[in-house]
Amino acid sequence: MKDATAARRGAGLPAAAPVVGRRRILQMAVVLPAAATVLGGCSGVDRRADRPDPLIALADAARADAALAAAAVAAAPALAARIDPLREARTEHAAAFDAEVVRMGGVPRTAAPPSATAGAPPPTGTAVPPVTLARVREAVAASQVGAAELVENLPAERVGLVASVAACCATYAALLT
Amino acid sequence: MSGGAARLDDVAVGALQDVLGAEHAALWSYALAVAFIAPDQVAAARTDTAAHRELRAQIEITLTQLGQRPVSAQPAYATPQPVTDAASAAGLLVTAETDAAAAWRSVLERSTDRALRRAGLKALTETAARCARWRAVVGTRPAVPVFPGRP
Repeated sequence: MKDATAARRGAGLPAAAPVVGRRRILQMAVVLPAAATVLGGCSGVDRRADRPDPLIALADAARADAALAAAAVAAAPALAARIDPLREARTEHAAAFDAEVVRMGGVPRTAAPPSATAGAPPPTGTAVPPVTLARVREAVAASQVGAAELVENLPAERVGLVASVAACCATYAALLT
Repeated sequence: MSGGAARLDDVAVGALQDVLGAEHAALWSYALAVAFIAPDQVAAARTDTAAHRELRAQIEITLTQLGQRPVSAQPAYATPQPVTDAASAAGLLVTAETDAAAAWRSVLERSTDRALRRAGLKALTETAARCARWRAVVGTRPAVPVFPGRP
């Protein structure tokens, strides 16, 4: 929706960075360290070369959630209306994370973890309980936490994607209760 | 560290002004829509309105403390379609929440302040939930945006 959005920046902004007193009413602003923050303009500045790309784990979680969702619907087809959109969303999340990992020169894992494969026959003598809605919800809630944890420290070009995924997972976690 | 000061650079301040604009627009949208939406949606709309009022207040306070003049609301906003009934009213609320989500995501992308990012993520998450509910009312599939806030 378009608004005139006239009075924005440029109208009376001080030249130096604005400063506030420490007392503030909401938790939006915080005391910044005097030194430069870890986050720089360059996306790789806060990762050593030997650390795996944190988005690989997020992609894995997305794939696992999608497989779990498929298994839940296989066990209880009546859940399809509620869970199929989640499965599709987590599949799209995985693809987006993979693309971002590749963009940064990494190699994503592209197969679902075998433990979450739907329809795989259990080993002889093992009873595998069907995947319940509650288990799907727990997985998505955990995925939300995993993504949200990264948001504070990600570089600008990645934080939007991860935050969007966290928000999507949070919404499903609330809806699948 | 008492007496410490918080700084937000001009880019982050700009992001806050932009999201304030989105919150102004959302409140205007809810005020218009509540007159048209289905009766069983009114309570939800009022709850959502209160949430946006709270966000607006928080942003205005933050900007004021930073020595900034919070951007004012516009007297009116252009709507994607005329609001004439419950369906178009719910559609306006989908637009309002979608725009707010984009603005909150942009706050995350334009700031490195950890507390601001936490607050922005919380706001993005809550606006995504509201957006999903109004999308469900409209009948948009999927109801839950796959990437809330993505432009």
